Amino acid sequence: MNRLKNMASDQKHTGGSLLFAVLQEHGVKHVFGYPGGAIMPIYDALYDSEVEHYLCRHEQGAAFAAVGYARASDKVGVCMATSGPGATNLITGLADALADSIPIVAITGQVPTAAMGSDAFQEIDVFGLSLACTKHSFQVTDINDLASVLHQAFAIALEGRQGPVLVDIPKDIQLAEINCSLDDLSQLPNKVKLPPVDVTNAISLLSKAKKPILYVGGGVGMANAIDELREFCNKTGMPCVSTLKGLGAIDPENENYLGMLGMHGTKASNLAVQESDLLVVVGARFDDRVTGKLDEFAPNAKVIHFDIDTAEINKRRKADAAILGDLKINLPALAIPLSIADWQKRCQQSKADNGWRYDHPGEKIYAPAVLKEISDTMPKNTCVTTDVGQHQMWAAQHMLFNDPSDFLTSGGMGTMGFGLPAAIGAQVSRPTDCVIAVSGDGSFMMNVQELATIKRFQLPVKILLIDNAKLGMVRQWQDLFFNGRLSETDLSDNPDFIMLANAFDIKAKEITKKSEVTAAVAEMLDHDGAYLLKIKIDAEDNVWPLVPPNTANDKMMESI
Amino acid sequence: MNNYQLTITVDDKQVVLERILQVTRYRGFLIDGISADVNTGTNIGTIHLMVKSERPIELLVDQINKLIDIKSVSVDNNT
Repeated sequence: MNRLKNMASDQKHTGGSLLFAVLQEHGVKHVFGYPGGAIMPIYDALYDSEVEHYLCRHEQGAAFAAVGYARASDKVGVCMATSGPGATNLITGLADALADSIPIVAITGQVPTAAMGSDAFQEIDVFGLSLACTKHSFQVTDINDLASVLHQAFAIALEGRQGPVLVDIPKDIQLAEINCSLDDLSQLPNKVKLPPVDVTNAISLLSKAKKPILYVGGGVGMANAIDELREFCNKTGMPCVSTLKGLGAIDPENENYLGMLGMHGTKASNLAVQESDLLVVVGARFDDRVTGKLDEFAPNAKVIHFDIDTAEINKRRKADAAILGDLKINLPALAIPLSIADWQKRCQQSKADNGWRYDHPGEKIYAPAVLKEISDTMPKNTCVTTDVGQHQMWAAQHMLFNDPSDFLTSGGMGTMGFGLPAAIGAQVSRPTDCVIAVSGDGSFMMNVQELATIKRFQLPVKILLIDNAKLGMVRQWQDLFFNGRLSETDLSDNPDFIMLANAFDIKAKEITKKSEVTAAVAEMLDHDGAYLLKIKIDAEDNVWPLVPPNTANDKMMESI
Repeated sequence: MNNYQLTITVDDKQVVLERILQVTRYRGFLIDGISADVNTGTNIGTIHLMVKSERPIELLVDQINKLIDIKSVSVDNNT
């Protein structure tokens, strides 16, 4: 409680100044937001605050910047917006944070309490809207509750399975005065109560398994259990696969690491999972993009499921043994040596037989080869963000990461427009690290206004724009599953992206031939400030392998 | 369709009933009946919820249990 007592008691505050005092109590140095009528008292208090505000150019950009800020570090991301349209513009970012379990606190202004419920100007029931897209939400109706609510918001965002929390503050509460004494605030008791762990059954399953697979998800990074996971990998020698959000948790140099599983997973991963007799699932949730046809996913495997969220156990796949709680504590309990040499060898052989090939015919640029080259040459601790689509899957397949906080991608929600603002948040969070936003020409335009944020704060974000003048992933599906009827996926009238970047003082270059790649990548990585490298690729290029929808993962397509 | 009766105790906080109803609908359960009252001395509310679904009730119990203001959830019958 010392932390709270350090705060001077009986200090005079308005709601607005109290907000920033409490944010500082929680170590918040940066917030992302956009002002407007019903949040003006908070922005007035910001004027005197030491908290640094990053003005984004759309509330959705502010929300994704907060998400990127949180994901690139172990900090909570904070975003702010006004009532009505400001608040609704945050919603997509909150939904994204809920789907990927990201701790953010969103502050919204609200019309004054006396006007609430009267369809006032810029009034929307954001509290009601928040029910489906936050872990929890509050509406403050008494200034005496404000500090306590904010403390609870941070606690809830971080405890157990992390997630977004919204705090809606009416304008009169922001203006209200209070003689504040923060040291009598009660902390939220931890709601997460889990049964005691019994690993007997799991140990028995593990020691009997002949073909076990370790299936690693985003929970490992969020539990800060990367060391424990890698120790588990070393001790058991288990062949291992990763979800999109888990990438970086397993040491990419691990000889038993087979790559990503699922719809665009490696052949070696998917075949091994399908053949396995035991799945050890760690911080993952059998997402449909991972399992393909659920009934035929790893059909002969027993399941040991590690998670922090009770509701994920047996949700989509029955667990033969469930181990609930902190991975840092629970993973070592199962780290036992296994006698699986034959299985290891077979998996390693399959990995060698099914390696990526970069010998793409012709002079046109092959995006996977560019991403591999960037991955091989980017500085240590580079943080890569992506948007959503073909480029995202290519980045997941062909780039290697040493930590999940080095690869920020919208997994559960699959939100186009994520990459650029998330890169802004990541760069603010990690100012000395290289940050690269890998984007496509469709996604890039969804939050393109955030180039202005890069300009305003002189952020040295690198942008790799993979341009096929298409909504490439939808086009690929139209070709494969909709008889080539290319409905609304042509973007050949895109703007001049080089001129667009230049308009925001961002250096930019376009390349169209393979022979230009190495020099252009080096130039981008060496450049001091922001840089946009646009690579023109063949619009016919597809992401392979691909497991068609509602199909077992061993029936992947590898070409047309 | 299976019918279930749930008894849920809650801290009487903002929109707690709305949260339970939202989760119930989203997770694929239809509501057949509801009653709710609050002990004003303890500020603990008790909600009886009659629901039906093809889905296993554990799915809904786990999701309601995750809500912040929930104290307990029990299934009174399983018909």
